[in-house]
Amino acid sequence: MHTRTGAAIVLDTLESLGVDTVFGYPGGAIMPLYDALYDHRIVHVLVRHEAAAVFAASGFARSTGRPGVCIATSGPGATNLITGIVDAMLDNVPLVALTGQVRSTVMGTDAFQEVDVAAITHQVTKRNVVVRSVDQIEPALRAAFRLATSSRPGPVLVDLPTDVLRAFEEARAGAAAEPAATRERPRADAQSLDAAVAALQRAQRPVLIVGGGTRWSGATEIFRSLAARIGAPIASTLHGLGCADPGDPAYIGMLGMHGWKRANLAVQNADVLVALGMRFDDRVTGDPAKFAPNAHTIVHADIDAAEFDKVVHAHVKLHGDLRETLVALDHRLARVTLPSFEEWRAQACAPHEQLPRDDARDGHLSATDFLDALFAALPEDAIVSTDVGQHQMWAAQRVRASHPQHFLTSGGLGSMGFGLPAAIGAQMAHPGRTVVAIVGDGGFQMSMAELATLRRHELPVKIVLLDNRNLGMVRQWQELFYNARYSATALPDNPEFTTIARAYGIEARLVDHAEASAPSIKRMLQSPGPMLLHCACYPHENVWPIIPSGKSVDDLMETIPA
Amino acid sequence: MRTVTANDGRMLARIIHLAHRFGCTYTKVAAQHTGADYRMEFAFAGPGDALRRLDAQITKLLDDDRETMG
Repeated sequence: MHTRTGAAIVLDTLESLGVDTVFGYPGGAIMPLYDALYDHRIVHVLVRHEAAAVFAASGFARSTGRPGVCIATSGPGATNLITGIVDAMLDNVPLVALTGQVRSTVMGTDAFQEVDVAAITHQVTKRNVVVRSVDQIEPALRAAFRLATSSRPGPVLVDLPTDVLRAFEEARAGAAAEPAATRERPRADAQSLDAAVAALQRAQRPVLIVGGGTRWSGATEIFRSLAARIGAPIASTLHGLGCADPGDPAYIGMLGMHGWKRANLAVQNADVLVALGMRFDDRVTGDPAKFAPNAHTIVHADIDAAEFDKVVHAHVKLHGDLRETLVALDHRLARVTLPSFEEWRAQACAPHEQLPRDDARDGHLSATDFLDALFAALPEDAIVSTDVGQHQMWAAQRVRASHPQHFLTSGGLGSMGFGLPAAIGAQMAHPGRTVVAIVGDGGFQMSMAELATLRRHELPVKIVLLDNRNLGMVRQWQELFYNARYSATALPDNPEFTTIARAYGIEARLVDHAEASAPSIKRMLQSPGPMLLHCACYPHENVWPIIPSGKSVDDLMETIPA
Repeated sequence: MRTVTANDGRMLARIIHLAHRFGCTYTKVAAQHTGADYRMEFAFAGPGDALRRLDAQITKLLDDDRETMG
């Protein structure tokens, strides 16, 4: 028999659950946990703002499929996590947030750095819990991991009063570390599976839409196999990128607001739509009343029954774990003959379609040209994170991710400041891989202090900063939809980013003309350490095509209206 | 009328917040601690589509609530 503190129990339990890396920032109430971390095997990554801790944990989770863990103290530490927690909720990222809390005896007295983080995060976590006694720590953490990873993944918060962390428990010597159990998953029923097969047998112009549920259920391989069997065009949501083989001739790219025209037109003309692990986000559907108007059958597969008919009515609902659903569907399809969709596929795939683009003027560097050169040079297993804005959409249009864990982006919440910390999390999980953070000048300035984290942990993250001296996406919308009234979007006073990077001890290079792109990218990828490429880009380059918010593919724009 | 049994008594607040978010009102809310868990009764009013989505979300919340967190 031996005794452990609550803090030691936290770390031992995390370790028994397979956690080897956590991201956090210390403070008063969480100090007992940091004291225990001092000589523990779990690696702690010290960020420079709690928001980066939760985004880094998210990047870790998104690039591995394993839960990410972040730590913050009570009060402002805990509230600084909230954006990242909501981000994880909307993007279905398994995440466990540990927050310090004031002593149990002073909770409710407005004590220093006291905030009711459980109440604040109640609506934006799968669950949360305030641990009231030391013997509740281990069961609470195990439940948190089960919840974060089961069914539709998401964030769970465990609030730990400082006295609970300091308290001692009589521990069972040699207590077995039970693995986190997987909760029972729903399974698509046979009748619905048969209906899906029948719809495909009747189809003339089917389209598959692959979404982020495919990545979280580990269904990429079976999806590709099933897609090959069906032979229909494949469109992807933002979070589905990498699920389809980018080299598959049936793959028609991302659909939605900034998706490929061919993908949106294919969905528009489809008679059968098979939507897999996606939630018909408004950035995908535009006006739902005009979405897929020719589809007589929409098949929707998802683990979350609350997604069915939420935005778009589905005629066939496959409620279950997506991987199991696709396996079952594949078995059924193997026993039937489907029509040939070759002619439709050839028509829908429009292999010669180019993304419309603005030409950079006055000798400026084009951001899209730069990204084309970057993606051509990246190794196949490179992990790319993005921030939020124009660069995110340009990257999503062009990325040829060979696996969904290779492209990390904040989709549902669209959180600026995500890109660099997410790359830090991914690099911690994959120390030997090339990890690139593509960021804009707006978002980078929300997370720039994490350059210190790169330096501290010697993380060789490559930062591609596409600086157009504007909050570009908002500027674009102002240009298109607000009579070019550029309210608060110009950033002419941006700092010299290369100087800032160097001040943190990070190699940096300015790229301000097209000819410098290829050698700079080569230099960056060869660099053994972190590096920033500051790309000074043409400020008025827009993201094309665009389907204005709430509109349909009929309203798709490929240039500024005359 | 929907009757709900939850481990976490805070489910009451979560469901009320959801109803507000979906533009629904509640015409009856009652809750009782039964020892092991909480029994709650709700009656909501609002657009049919919102009520249906609210009902689906409540079902999902209750599924997660089955996990005991100490």
